[in-house]
Amino acid sequence: MPPQPSVQTLDPAMVAFITSHLSIHMAAANDQLQVTLVRGIGCRVSDNRDRITVLAPRSQSEPLVRAIGRNNSVAAVFNQPETHRTVQFKGTDARIEPATEQDKASLPAYLQGFSERLKIYGVKEIYIHTLCACEPDDMLAVSFAPMSIYQQSPGAEAGRRLPPGAPLP
Amino acid sequence: MNRMLSLESIRHCLEGLVPSGVATCGLDGMPNVTLVSQAMYMDPYHIALSFQFFNKTRENILANPIASVLMMDPDTAARYRLTVHYLRTETSGPLFEKMRAKLAGIASHEGMEGVFVLRGADVYRVLNIEHLPGRELPSTQYGPPILPNLRRCVDAINRYCSLEHLVDSLLDSLDRYFDIRHSMLLMLDRAGNRLYTLASRGYSHSGIGAEIPLGTGVVGVAAREQVPIRIMFAASEYEYSRTVREQAIKDGLVCELEAAIPMPGLPSPGSQMAVPLMCNGKLMAVLYVESPQPCQFGYDMEDALVTLCAKVGEAMGLLQLQTQGGQNMEASPAKPCPQPGSGPALKVRYFARDHSLFMDEEYLIKGVAGAILWHLLNVHQHKGRCDFSNRELRLDADLPLPDISDNLDARLLLLSRRLQERSEHIQIEKSGRGKFRLLVKRPLTLSQSD
Repeated sequence: MPPQPSVQTLDPAMVAFITSHLSIHMAAANDQLQVTLVRGIGCRVSDNRDRITVLAPRSQSEPLVRAIGRNNSVAAVFNQPETHRTVQFKGTDARIEPATEQDKASLPAYLQGFSERLKIYGVKEIYIHTLCACEPDDMLAVSFAPMSIYQQSPGAEAGRRLPPGAPLP
Repeated sequence: MNRMLSLESIRHCLEGLVPSGVATCGLDGMPNVTLVSQAMYMDPYHIALSFQFFNKTRENILANPIASVLMMDPDTAARYRLTVHYLRTETSGPLFEKMRAKLAGIASHEGMEGVFVLRGADVYRVLNIEHLPGRELPSTQYGPPILPNLRRCVDAINRYCSLEHLVDSLLDSLDRYFDIRHSMLLMLDRAGNRLYTLASRGYSHSGIGAEIPLGTGVVGVAAREQVPIRIMFAASEYEYSRTVREQAIKDGLVCELEAAIPMPGLPSPGSQMAVPLMCNGKLMAVLYVESPQPCQFGYDMEDALVTLCAKVGEAMGLLQLQTQGGQNMEASPAKPCPQPGSGPALKVRYFARDHSLFMDEEYLIKGVAGAILWHLLNVHQHKGRCDFSNRELRLDADLPLPDISDNLDARLLLLSRRLQERSEHIQIEKSGRGKFRLLVKRPLTLSQSD
């Protein structure tokens, strides 16, 4: 019997993984089932580990903001480029929030960490600092409780749904 | 679609250098987002995404074909969001093979060989392109300008007067105008289901006469599918090496492949491209270029070489028509044959089973070219002739070889170059259109075995 949606408390290792300056993409769909996506530029998890917040530039996220405003559904995928380890989270209670001062202050660390990961592919630091650049006033936060988690690393297991509180696959 | 922004103008974002994000949505309204290993430009209206695993993306596009792709410019970091409509999945044929080869390079670059396996090429129509706001870097793509250099190549090639000149002009022009230092041209042996090397540049040995089966390596796949194949990173699966050929022979893909002449080629090319040369819809040859550096040949270079090869393919067809057109002289010596020099006789041994030919126990060549040389040496030995015409060879019933008229000029050129490399005592030189002369500088002893 497939697991029923329920709010999950994330495993600490999972929290450490998704906040470790990974490649992040976030998607939402409007009522006509037209989907959109944007690149994330940071992530934080609530202290009780039951809520994920992904940061993104508002100027690139207009369709996403509108879609979430209509139906509160969101998907976010976190990929560690050097290992291809990938996990996707989905939520149905997503809300758009203003980025906090802490969120805004977290961007340089994200840029630095993400750049470090891509050095092995010869990607220059300035490339990541440009790709993920965001003016402080342009930053928004999408917060959601993870209702389902999927292992998405390339391979036969890609797409497998993980049980609630599952450790990092 | 934004009239100012065409898919073509941003196709360099579709080289697989930066993975693209792909979002889909199920009928329940729940979005799904993932990364795709390869998004490939097909034409101004279509892209193909690699289908590697059965997953939610697959399930969603079959139910709701509208998806969104976020791709990044690998040079400037510009972001483009595409709205696309899924049309179909191709699991074989030119597009599939093109994508499979490219994916092999990406997999190797990312340490995912054996994991990134292409199940299909998902074809999407692009409905909209959105250039997202945000910071961008100035472009640093300053290669040699493609169009003026293509023009120079065409100008050089247009002056061809023979197959030999045409082939040499092509490879020399690539070096001179496009800075392509490693190249080779392989002719199709239609009956033999293989290609043989006619000319090369940039290798320690020319490899003239070396063969590769259709369907093997970048060249073989480009020939079989009649489509350009381009790989941006080292891809061991497609390395054009002796190993690949030996495996093909072992797998029984082709028998009696020329094995004594090693294939030229870089041991581990960072970039590879193979372009078929066609004439009237028929494959004539394949041009192969490579570089030790990755990411050397982009979409624009592919366009340039495809254009150039169209020109050369037609020229090859025209030359073939000219040499088959009956304008050649009948076999009669134009001038007396030079007397062979003195010294010990050159022992020439011929094996009829594979038409292989040895000179003083040294292997020279086999197959069609071997049979032709054996025929010429016998006529020379027994009738004292040294002048020949292509026409008489084509009509000669003593040459029981299939498909000989198809590419006789190329066979003679191969033979002539192989002799230049391997024999001081026997040479073939062109003596006019459709005519050639056999020069024998030592007495001969001919022997034949089964």
